[in-house]
Amino acid sequence: MSFTSYTRSFVKEYFIFASLILLILFFSLVADNFFSFVTLRTILNQLPALTVVTVGMTLVLIVGGIDLSVGSVLGFSATVVGMAIIGWDLSIFTACLLAISAGILCGSMNGILVAYLALPSFIVTLGMLEMARGMAYITTNSQTMYIGASIQKLALPISQTGVSLALLIALLTVFAAQFVLTKTVPGRYIVAVGANAQAARMSGINTKLYRMVVLAVSGALAGLGGVFNVAYLGAADPNAGTGLELAAIAAAVIGGTSLMGGRGTIVGAFAGVLIIAVLQNGLAQVGVSEPAKRLITGGVIIIAVFLDAWRIRRDKLKI
Amino acid sequence: MVAARLSIQSLSKSFSVPVLTDINLTIRRGEIHAVVGENGAGKTTFGNILAGFINRDNGRIMLDGVEYEPSSPKDAFEAGISCAAQEFSLINTLSVTENIALRKLPHSYSVISRKELEHRTRSLLRIVGLGSLDPDTRIEALGLAERQLVEFAKSVFLDCRVLILDEPTAALTAHQASVLHEIIAGLAASGTSVIYISHRLQDVLEVSNTITVLRDGRVVTTGPASSMGVAELMEYMSGHVQSENKSAQPVAAHTPEPVLEADHITTEELPHDMSFTAYKGEIIGIAGLSGSGRSELLNALFGLTPLTGGDISLHTAEGKIHINNPGTAKRSGMAYLGEDRQSMGLYPGHPVLANMMIPGNLDGFASLSLLDHKHENSAGEKLVGELSIKCDGLGQDIDQLSGGNQQKILIARWLYCNSDIFLFDEPTRGIDVGTKNMIYNLLFDLRDNQKTVLVTSSEIEELMALSDRIFVLSKRKLVEEFKSDNWSETGILAACFREFTTQATDMRDQAHIRHLSSG
Repeated sequence: MSFTSYTRSFVKEYFIFASLILLILFFSLVADNFFSFVTLRTILNQLPALTVVTVGMTLVLIVGGIDLSVGSVLGFSATVVGMAIIGWDLSIFTACLLAISAGILCGSMNGILVAYLALPSFIVTLGMLEMARGMAYITTNSQTMYIGASIQKLALPISQTGVSLALLIALLTVFAAQFVLTKTVPGRYIVAVGANAQAARMSGINTKLYRMVVLAVSGALAGLGGVFNVAYLGAADPNAGTGLELAAIAAAVIGGTSLMGGRGTIVGAFAGVLIIAVLQNGLAQVGVSEPAKRLITGGVIIIAVFLDAWRIRRDKLKI
Repeated sequence: MVAARLSIQSLSKSFSVPVLTDINLTIRRGEIHAVVGENGAGKTTFGNILAGFINRDNGRIMLDGVEYEPSSPKDAFEAGISCAAQEFSLINTLSVTENIALRKLPHSYSVISRKELEHRTRSLLRIVGLGSLDPDTRIEALGLAERQLVEFAKSVFLDCRVLILDEPTAALTAHQASVLHEIIAGLAASGTSVIYISHRLQDVLEVSNTITVLRDGRVVTTGPASSMGVAELMEYMSGHVQSENKSAQPVAAHTPEPVLEADHITTEELPHDMSFTAYKGEIIGIAGLSGSGRSELLNALFGLTPLTGGDISLHTAEGKIHINNPGTAKRSGMAYLGEDRQSMGLYPGHPVLANMMIPGNLDGFASLSLLDHKHENSAGEKLVGELSIKCDGLGQDIDQLSGGNQQKILIARWLYCNSDIFLFDEPTRGIDVGTKNMIYNLLFDLRDNQKTVLVTSSEIEELMALSDRIFVLSKRKLVEEFKSDNWSETGILAACFREFTTQATDMRDQAHIRHLSSG
């Protein structure tokens, strides 16, 4: 009985994963060869960057903020990788560390402004969205830097398994974040700050610290996303990640994260990522045109939010 | 002049607990009728029902012989009843003109010309003594006193049958108040009935014709103002000391071992410095009218508001600890229960268990401490049992629980933390009698276990039943400390009013109050 809360959240995630499986089944029936190895690999290869960025976004949403800068920060970090390898002749590992540091830098700036100067995260990260993109262009002089096969290894499936190192890291990130959120004290505090910041402060929780750290983590994960992006393309593109923040928000919301803060799970958000990816590929497979694809994806987002709002209202009425 | 304007018969209202019970009142044409009473006596609820802000449960109201049943402030307004609220209803980002016109524009059949609007605003402002104010000023640029007068100007209109004023002089200087009183007298002379709700007994006696005293939602007395004085009103307001909760009458048995020391502390909200020491095993009650700084004092003690002067220190096993933020306060054994459960305590949409355990675990960012779900659950079950919290398991959504049970869960948080000093701001507000008694017993248990409790309440009686000592705040100033052997409800109440009455001009009544509070 005392585990009701946990079972309830499991049920919620089952609901999302059930939707995902239904979606896959649907496309398998409608489209020929949807379950082909090529399709699966295509889908999985697209995922690492969006996955890690969505993890960061979900954490920020749960703590009661929003991070619009993730797409640009990803782009900036991608150019840092390119510059480090091509321009400064550093090792791939060092380049990756530098890229993640760049992400942490951007995220911390967001965090300091939001937490300690009490500015709205929507506006601060909107500013960072512009600034990080500007820095991306400056870093590579608006050019795409080709790096080649050395870094692509990260994104290519490891022999036999069919899973790339990038995907593996992304999955690890999902589970680590889910673990922190549900099994640790800081995780509990993050949810508390998002659910009722005043109450959290009055419980002696350092609300500013959590706001700041979560935004910094989101920046770091966007930096990691930048590395994955470069690995996927084999090149550092200053336009990488444009509009990715919206995909990440959509995935988090489909996964049951509340934009009002205080509610959401990482695993759910990951399911949201998968749903969007399967939908995109499945529709393409069936031969749906690009405009229709967008209409359908948008519709799915709204339906997901509608179902979630309906479920919450029903729970509230069930007294 | 003697015709009944408002006739109120058996009016009742309850918000889970009765707030107004069987009110019968007649308010005549052109009468200034004051309504006074302690905090929570039901004054504001009374005004709000007449103004259509809230609906009554039972009873009839006749306005000039016609049944009056407002379902919104608009209905009230159309019937000729207007209210200047205690909480200003002004929109900060709009100009004075726009605010004043807001309510009236819907009632004009044609578009009002800008010129006429300004003319009307100016004349209204002149009436309330703000003739020199530019009507285009935004509300946010005004001081509190000016806002109060604008609020008043907004509620005054021609042919107003009943004007309700809730604490109209709270932010005014003596001079501004007397100007306001002249205006009110003028309105009454032209036939408007004025219902004047106030804490300032001096003002009430000065301006009103009739005074009604409310206590615990009932009319205690109604009579001509000329036959009453401040001392008499206070006795009516407090009633006789009742002995409902005396079953656990505190025994002053605390060993003088200091735990909390406030040394000349001031904050932005508490400009007059305060010093006191709290000891192990005692309950300190903090009394005061609403807005007297009770919550602000507890906030300062818990480190929620920065000190502008002085020092708060705890005597703990590890020596002296200075409190300057809530995190330190919590770690050093302080517990805090906010005045407003919803906004200051609960995590809505989250289960009972999470709500109970939020501050309970170690502040573990550095140690990345892991939650022990098994331990958490057993501790939760235990607390639910100990406090007899009625819930459908630890996983139930907190929103589905009653106010009393929610309050118990918030208290359970701090019991789990094994705190030493409990700061409870209005712990019994809005909860049923049964839970109230439980909370009283809980506080006594804490005291008997050598804990220290600082508790605020709007009900002086409650504080007297609970506390070993009572600190009285008046206008954000610590004015007096009472001990259980030398207090009386009238004396404490007089101390609550002290900073209000010392401003008044009537020396005779001031002497009365000094006499009361010293004796």
